Amino acid sequence: MHIVDGALAPEVLIGGGVLAVAGLGLGLRKLPIDKIPATGVLSATFFVASLIHVPVGPSSVHLIMSGLAGLVLGWTAFPALFVGLLLQAIFFGFGGLTVLGVNTVNIAFPAVIAGFVFRSMVSRRNPVAAAVWGGLAGASSIALTTLFVAVSLMLSGDAFAPAAKLVFFAHIPIMIVEGLISAAAVYLIVKVKPELLMPEDHVAGFELSASAVNTKQASEVNNG
Amino acid sequence: MARLLASVLLAGLVLGAGVGHAHKIIASVFPSGANVEGEIGFSNGDMAADTLVEVFDPQGNKIDEVKTDGDGFFIYTPRQKVNLVFRADLGAGHVAEATFAIADLSDLNVLNETASQPSASGAQAAVSIDEIPNSSPNGGKVISREQEELIATIVRDELRPLRREITAYKEKNDLQSILGGIGYIFGFFGIAYYIAARRLRDKETKP
Repeated sequence: MHIVDGALAPEVLIGGGVLAVAGLGLGLRKLPIDKIPATGVLSATFFVASLIHVPVGPSSVHLIMSGLAGLVLGWTAFPALFVGLLLQAIFFGFGGLTVLGVNTVNIAFPAVIAGFVFRSMVSRRNPVAAAVWGGLAGASSIALTTLFVAVSLMLSGDAFAPAAKLVFFAHIPIMIVEGLISAAAVYLIVKVKPELLMPEDHVAGFELSASAVNTKQASEVNNG
Repeated sequence: MARLLASVLLAGLVLGAGVGHAHKIIASVFPSGANVEGEIGFSNGDMAADTLVEVFDPQGNKIDEVKTDGDGFFIYTPRQKVNLVFRADLGAGHVAEATFAIADLSDLNVLNETASQPSASGAQAAVSIDEIPNSSPNGGKVISREQEELIATIVRDELRPLRREITAYKEKNDLQSILGGIGYIFGFFGIAYYIAARRLRDKETKP
C-alpha cells in the first residue's frame, strides 16, 4: 500500500507530487469550517489505523480507512490523508518523504472517487442499507488504490498485469476487513450523526445558516 | 452470499500467501570478519527468501549480486574497498535498501591483499591468508590464528540474536510516537481551525 523510497522513477515521483499538491489545494478550498474537526479526527483515524494489524490466516493485514474518509470528507480527504501519511512516514517509516506525493494520490484519490460514487447511497435514512453501501465504499476504495499502485509501478518500469495482480490479490483480505469496519462505522454515523454523511448541498445550506448566525452575533457585539 | 465471501477470502489467502503485504521492510547489514552479513524481510516476520540482492557502490554502479537463502539471510564478500549499498526488489513497490560502511569491516587488511590478486575468489583467499600461522615474539602466550578465528565465529554467533533484537527494537512503534502523532494531527487541525475562524470573523466584521 505504501510505496517506499527508491521504488519509483523520478518522473512518477514528480507527477505524483504535482497531482497531490493540486488535490491538496482543491481539498483545502472546499474545506468548510465546520468540517475541520471531522477532518482532523479522520486524519488521526487513518494515522492510527495502519498500526492495527488484523490477523488473516498465516499473515496479518493492517487497516487503511481511506474509504470512510472519502465518504465523510469528499475532496477534503486529500489534506486529511496527506497529514496522516506525512506523520506515518516521519514517525514509523511507512513509505517515505520522496514518495509522499505519489502515496497521497494513490490513497486519497480513490477515497474521493469512492466518496462521490457512494455518498448519495449512504446518506439514506435506512442505517442497514447505508452500512452496506458504506462497506462497499471502503472495499472499492482499497481496490482502486491497488490499481493506482500498479499504475505507478508500471510507469516506473514494471509490467502492469503481474504487478496489478500481485497488489490486488495481496489486498483482498484488507478489502474484506476494511469493508466490514467501514460498514460498522457508517451504521454508527447514520444512527448518531447522519448530517456528517449528507451531500454537499445540504452541508452548504447548513453552512449558510451558520454564517447567518455568525453575522447576527457579530452585529450584536457591535451594538453592545 | 456467505459462500461467495468465504471463497473470495480463501482465494485471497491462497493467492496472497507469500506475497509481501503492506508492511514495512527491514534490511540490515552487519560486518562479520571479512564478509558482510545481511538480512532482508518484512516487519511482520516474513523473510525475503531466495531474493536477488544487488550490490552497488556509492556512485550507483552495480558491483555484484547475491541471493538470500530461505531465511532471507545472505553473506557477501566485498572485493573492493568502497562503501556498499545493498538493494533488493521484493515486488509491489517494496524495495529494501541498506548501506554498509566498509570501514566497519574488521579484516580490512585481508580485503586489501585479496583485492591485489583478482584471480582468487574473495572468500577462499581470505581463509588461506588467515591460516598463515601467527609468529609471535612471546612464544605460546598469544593464541594462534585458528583459535582467534574460532573465537570470532563464536562471538558472532552469540551476537546474532542480539543484533536481530536490536533491529526489531528499532522498528518498534511505541505508544509515545503514536500519541505524539495524534497530538500533531490535532494540533495541526487546531491551527487550521484558528485560521479559518479568523478569516470568517474578518469577513463578517467588515462593513
